[in-house]
Amino acid sequence: MTDDVKNEEKKEGSGVSRRNFLKISGAAAAGVQIGAVAGLGLAAGKDPATHTGWQHLGDNTQFVDRQSLQMKGLPYQEVGPVRRPEEVESPFGRQRLMMKSMMRGGMGPKPERSRRSGPFRMTMPPADSFAEPLAGFYKEHPDIYELDKVRLESIMPKKREDEAKYGDYYTLINAWSASWMAGQPIKDPPEVSDFRIGNPMMGRGRKIREAIPFKSPELAAELIKKVAHHFGATMVGITRLKQEWCYNHGLRGVKDKGPYEVPKHWEYVIAFGVPHQWEQVQSNPNCGTSVDAYSRATIAARRLETFIKSLGYPARRHSPMDGYDLIAVPILVDAGLGQQGRHGIIITPETGSNFRAAFVTTNLPMKIDKPIDFGVNDFCKTCKICAEICPSASISFEKTNEKITTRGYRHWEINQASCFNFWMQSMGGMGCRLCLIACPYSRKNNWAHAMARVVDGHDPTGLVNKGLTWMQKTFFKTPEAAEYLPPPDGRFANFREPPDWLTVGKYLDMKVLKPTKGE
Amino acid sequence: MITNTVLFAFIIGAVSGLVAAGALAWAKDLRLKMTWWKWLLTISWYLLLNFSVLLAFTMMGEGETGAGLKMLLFFGIITFILGVGLARLLWMGRKKPVSS
Ligand code: SF4
Ligand code: SF4
Repeated sequence: MTDDVKNEEKKEGSGVSRRNFLKISGAAAAGVQIGAVAGLGLAAGKDPATHTGWQHLGDNTQFVDRQSLQMKGLPYQEVGPVRRPEEVESPFGRQRLMMKSMMRGGMGPKPERSRRSGPFRMTMPPADSFAEPLAGFYKEHPDIYELDKVRLESIMPKKREDEAKYGDYYTLINAWSASWMAGQPIKDPPEVSDFRIGNPMMGRGRKIREAIPFKSPELAAELIKKVAHHFGATMVGITRLKQEWCYNHGLRGVKDKGPYEVPKHWEYVIAFGVPHQWEQVQSNPNCGTSVDAYSRATIAARRLETFIKSLGYPARRHSPMDGYDLIAVPILVDAGLGQQGRHGIIITPETGSNFRAAFVTTNLPMKIDKPIDFGVNDFCKTCKICAEICPSASISFEKTNEKITTRGYRHWEINQASCFNFWMQSMGGMGCRLCLIACPYSRKNNWAHAMARVVDGHDPTGLVNKGLTWMQKTFFKTPEAAEYLPPPDGRFANFREPPDWLTVGKYLDMKVLKPTKGE
Repeated sequence: MITNTVLFAFIIGAVSGLVAAGALAWAKDLRLKMTWWKWLLTISWYLLLNFSVLLAFTMMGEGETGAGLKMLLFFGIITFILGVGLARLLWMGRKKPVSS
């Protein structure tokens, strides 16, 4: 008999033998493994990521548990009389009013067209020669008059020159941007359009049916969110519509562009949105576009509007391509989709600032969501990356937004006029979106960024916040603010080089001129 | 996707088992007097090493090659310094060889 066998026998005499121990633990491990494999099989069967071609149209895109982030108190402070936004306050609105006055009003000097000086040029009339409300607005805001004058007299002619010189370099991004265009304007006032359903190409459609009651507002919210995801929304939230978030002018479908009463049936608003294509969005401001996300959000809005109407409830879409009667950011905050950042736009926990919104207003009773807090206010205090990178210096460097008040609320607000002036200088799909993509929250959902978000959200000391900001500024090479400007001051730089599928030199047999600083 | 994740987890699990077995063999071979907290420090250091490599290569995969290389250098230096400190600590408690 060998020593080993003797030892084994000794152990058997004193309790469980090594062999028996291995047998029991092996069986237990096999049981655990089979259980785990069963769990994994279940998860694999359920995983919406396995739905080839529809991976992004399931509710797995809204993967952050918002209940645990619900905010105590209000997301924005009321500090004065609250009022609705006016047309003249927005650069788009002013542009429309300016052009209307100048082209049709017969006031002030006429636009000048000079064959010798080349591009089409215009001269800005004196502030007090515009019709109201523009004249009064310019009197109150002479700085904005100056910015609008610079845009009209210098920026727009220079933009036309730049387009003639460098336009071909942006052929692919322009084609990509144009391909997403899909506008379908609303032609009737809310009391008509919101209550009719049918193919808009074939008249006004028919009246919606009698409303089918839901079993509960909770179930109504659940269903609406589910279908909104399937219609293409990446994130969805629901809130009650506050009057002060509706424009006070220009109701779509109404000839009179003046003030209007908010329709009574706009009780609830479903807020949702999608991110831009992740490769393209990195090459802003000059090789990017807004239209991809605009288009997807708009199409989701049309589908959701039809779905709600089909159940007998009036509904109206508000979307980037079909127009809005309301302002986006406060509604997105109310609906718990994210928080407002220093750059004035929304930051969501899933896609950061890479998010474009659309809405549907309705009177379908639904359970509403609550605003969330995942540490954006604190992060913005130290980060300031968007303010540093902004080519038009439109973003505040103040530590907090305490001194910034708009229409009775305290919140971050950018200088929209100077921001719009930069949009008018950039190439590609027009606009800028640099603050959107430079924001450290705007990152793909891989483990590194997901971990950073979770750890930062749970760190009360602010150390993680400082560390992440330091890493972003130290390790990631990004062009300086001035480099994004047109030559000769800048070089039409981009946050990152465009992906190869937007690089003309790789695919197209054409000669292009790459913009260079100092040219 | 989930199938790949499962496969990956199986492989990583098997490799980790081998690493652990290897670490035990090395500790015996080098006659290190390992205690629970020394094992804890060793495992933490090994995780830091993995984290540094994973982070740097994730950044490179995202197209941020420059940032990935800088991170590899930055965390690599930290990991190296901590590794030297850990090795000295483990060395201090070595058992004397038994003379025959
Ligand atoms: S969009 Fe561009 S110009 Fe406007 S605030 Fe953001 S970074 Fe500045
Ligand atoms: S870039 Fe920084 S400061 Fe700006 S919004 Fe994003 S987190 Fe806030």
